[in-house]
Amino acid sequence: MNCDCTENISLLIDGELDAVETRALERHLVNCLECQEARADFLSLRSQLTDFPVSFQPVAQREALARILGKEQGERRPRPRGWRWAFNPPVAAFASLLILAVVFALLVYPRLKSKPETSVEVASGGGDNRSNRRTSVPTSSPAPQGTPKKATPKKSPAPATGEKKIQIKKSTPIFDPQPDNIAKNVATETGDTSDPDISNSNGRVRSADAETMTAIHLQKAELLLRSFRNVRTNKSGSVADVSYEKKSAQQLVFQNMMLRREADAAGDAQVSSLLESLEPILLDIANLPAKPRRDDVRVIKDRVERKNIVPLLQVNSNALARALD
Amino acid sequence: MASHDEEFTMLFQEFYPSLCRFLECLLGGRVELAQDLAQESFLQLHRTAWETLPHGEARFWLYRVARNFAINEFRKSHTRYKLFDRVVEVMTPRMRNPEQEYETQERKELVLNMLSTLPEDQKVALLLREQEQLSYKDISQVLNVSESKVKVDIFRARAAIREGWTKKEKRLGAAN
Repeated sequence: MNCDCTENISLLIDGELDAVETRALERHLVNCLECQEARADFLSLRSQLTDFPVSFQPVAQREALARILGKEQGERRPRPRGWRWAFNPPVAAFASLLILAVVFALLVYPRLKSKPETSVEVASGGGDNRSNRRTSVPTSSPAPQGTPKKATPKKSPAPATGEKKIQIKKSTPIFDPQPDNIAKNVATETGDTSDPDISNSNGRVRSADAETMTAIHLQKAELLLRSFRNVRTNKSGSVADVSYEKKSAQQLVFQNMMLRREADAAGDAQVSSLLESLEPILLDIANLPAKPRRDDVRVIKDRVERKNIVPLLQVNSNALARALD
Repeated sequence: MASHDEEFTMLFQEFYPSLCRFLECLLGGRVELAQDLAQESFLQLHRTAWETLPHGEARFWLYRVARNFAINEFRKSHTRYKLFDRVVEVMTPRMRNPEQEYETQERKELVLNMLSTLPEDQKVALLLREQEQLSYKDISQVLNVSESKVKVDIFRARAAIREGWTKKEKRLGAAN
């Protein structure tokens, strides 16, 4: 834009120049290409603005007039403008949809979403939900609610575990570390599903009763260790019979692991620590040979005494039992 | 009273559509709000100023009040009205031919985009000049500013839009 007359072109098309100025500018326009272009552009702009379609409906106009006149005469009072949008049919429809969506989101969707996980939560008792979210549980056969200890235990043959060595680390592949699968693994490992404290009708442990189970477990462990402490040696120097203690230890060791993990997850450091101390002792007893040597038994007995674990078991099981009462 | 209302009705029917269009352009295409403010302006006119205004002044008065309403609304509840006007626009059933509707909408958006680049003073002056065909003197009365300011504002508005077109053409040329 080098020509100084462009501003005058604006005045020219608006009819704001007098006759002399108009004639002079028109003469200039004949030879100035830039001013010609400016005039064409300004007129094009005018055309676009003039052609801007009016968005109004005659009915709305009549209603507006009626409102104004009615309002002034006190006959009809229009809604306050600030809220008028709320009574507009499209807005009302949109608002209804929005409300329905919110209701759906708040009430229906959480139920739909939580349905497949219900049995999982029941199984874990809400104690540790971190580790079992991916566990698939058949919803068609939900576990009985609320009475895990009264659930009818499965009657399955209990094959003798015999001399089977129990090694935690080596058994990891067949031992599902998920707490709610531990009981099932216990049953699988030991072949014994008859203990109602360990398994229920669908082989799952309810950690809602974890404290009860822990108290019972500690009592059982205490009894086992007392029994083991009283094992006597024969005259030949070999131990009489530890098959009962071995079998009990095999059953308890997996339950011990399960409860320890659950205590860990629940943040119960005291119980977790106690169960951690108990675990190697149970493992040692479980892995004793059928006819153990006196020294093998003595080493374990010494460790039990050194750790002073029997009184600890007694104290904790009593405390838990009192808390549950 | 009847003649008073008849006179007002004639004024309303003559200027209500153009006032709606003026406000719609000023408010960036918010039709519902434009109609509300047009109605509000006429209501004010009918209530307060109708009797006292000199003959022929009502039109100027209307545009002045409407413009002030528009500025107030912009400052007050920009977001809320924008949202609900958009909702109304989306959900209002289309009665006309879809092609025609689309073309009209395109044209409107072109103009509104063009105007959105202008300062408020220039925009109002240009709209009053081009759409309402008011003279510079009338515009200066409506806006309560000097004629020379109106002249400068209108020219600057045109020049700015023209410059925008030139830049757009250059971009298109470069892209091709």
